[in-house]
Amino acid sequence: MDPSEVEFLAEKETVKIIPNFSLDKVYLIGGDLGPFNPGLPVSVPVWLALNLKQRQKCRIVPPEWMDADKLEEIRELERKEDTFTPIPSPHYMELTKLLLNHAADNIPKADEIRTLVKDIWDTRIAKLRLSADSFITQQEAHAKLDNLTLMEINTTRTFLLDSLKYMYKLRSNLQPGSGKSQDY
Amino acid sequence: MDTQSYMPVPPGVGLEENFFSLDDILLSHQRLPCRTENAFPRLGFLEKSSETPDILEGTKMEMPLWLAKGLYERKRRVLSVDLPKMYREGWRTVFGADPNVVDLHKMGPYFYGLGSQLLHFDSPENPEIAQAILQTYIGRFRRTMDSSQNAYNEDTSALVERLDFLERTLFREGKSVQRKW
Repeated sequence: MDPSEVEFLAEKETVKIIPNFSLDKVYLIGGDLGPFNPGLPVSVPVWLALNLKQRQKCRIVPPEWMDADKLEEIRELERKEDTFTPIPSPHYMELTKLLLNHAADNIPKADEIRTLVKDIWDTRIAKLRLSADSFITQQEAHAKLDNLTLMEINTTRTFLLDSLKYMYKLRSNLQPGSGKSQDY
Repeated sequence: MDTQSYMPVPPGVGLEENFFSLDDILLSHQRLPCRTENAFPRLGFLEKSSETPDILEGTKMEMPLWLAKGLYERKRRVLSVDLPKMYREGWRTVFGADPNVVDLHKMGPYFYGLGSQLLHFDSPENPEIAQAILQTYIGRFRRTMDSSQNAYNEDTSALVERLDFLERTLFREGKSVQRKW
């Protein structure tokens, strides 16, 4: 899966904005977008929020988890645990990137947040690699990983699956005569 | 999700080879040292070092894998295949000691594939060979994974040259991950 596809899926998440225009309720196939009144917060999908922000029609309110102290707590927790900890949003990486790129002025301590999220990401990816490594070296057949986000899975998917496939091929050498004949 | 009009056939699993796989075709071009058990009359031109018009019984020659596989009979009247030195006891202990040190590309770029095909020619050491190949793969996996996922946009030729063909495929997969960041 392409990283840009994962980003596309992440844009479905909702975020609060404060519009500076007014509009009646809009009925779309995917759902309704509530009436827009200037100065009143309303929940919209991220793709719309970014579009409005670029046209300077709104102000984006950062999600609750995008706060320096909270992220620092999460980072410390992540570093202590050996397994993956639950994280506030299943698309934290993409949302951080999108919101910080387009709406950094609306988000307090933007640089700190960027660093913290990157640290969390690095820790989780390192755990993922350790887990993949032990999976292969001990030739296990089954692994269980909780609390992984789509983006993290996406980074390792092709590589891990292909290497497991080759390992299967080499392992099938150990049992001669299994699947050796072809029926026509 | 890119739809391709050209889907290359992947190499076969284990002892099998896919007939249409380009990788398998290139693999079967590798030469193996063999000894003929029978005489092959009037085929002396195949063996470059001999002057006789026939190939005599007991000649040692190098044959490509596809030829050796075709001529090999279980009753062993035609051909007997010796193991290339890479799959013998001496090298197997080297692989057991530290798989990361070995330059697998120099040893014949198809170490894993050729090793799998060798198991066709029933040698008494077959289980050990299979086990050794598997352990080597596992031992080198970590290094391959780390180097491929951290090599964004840098010159990777120094890393790649020590890898076998199969590992290079994995390496390319790992590299494509870095595209977004």
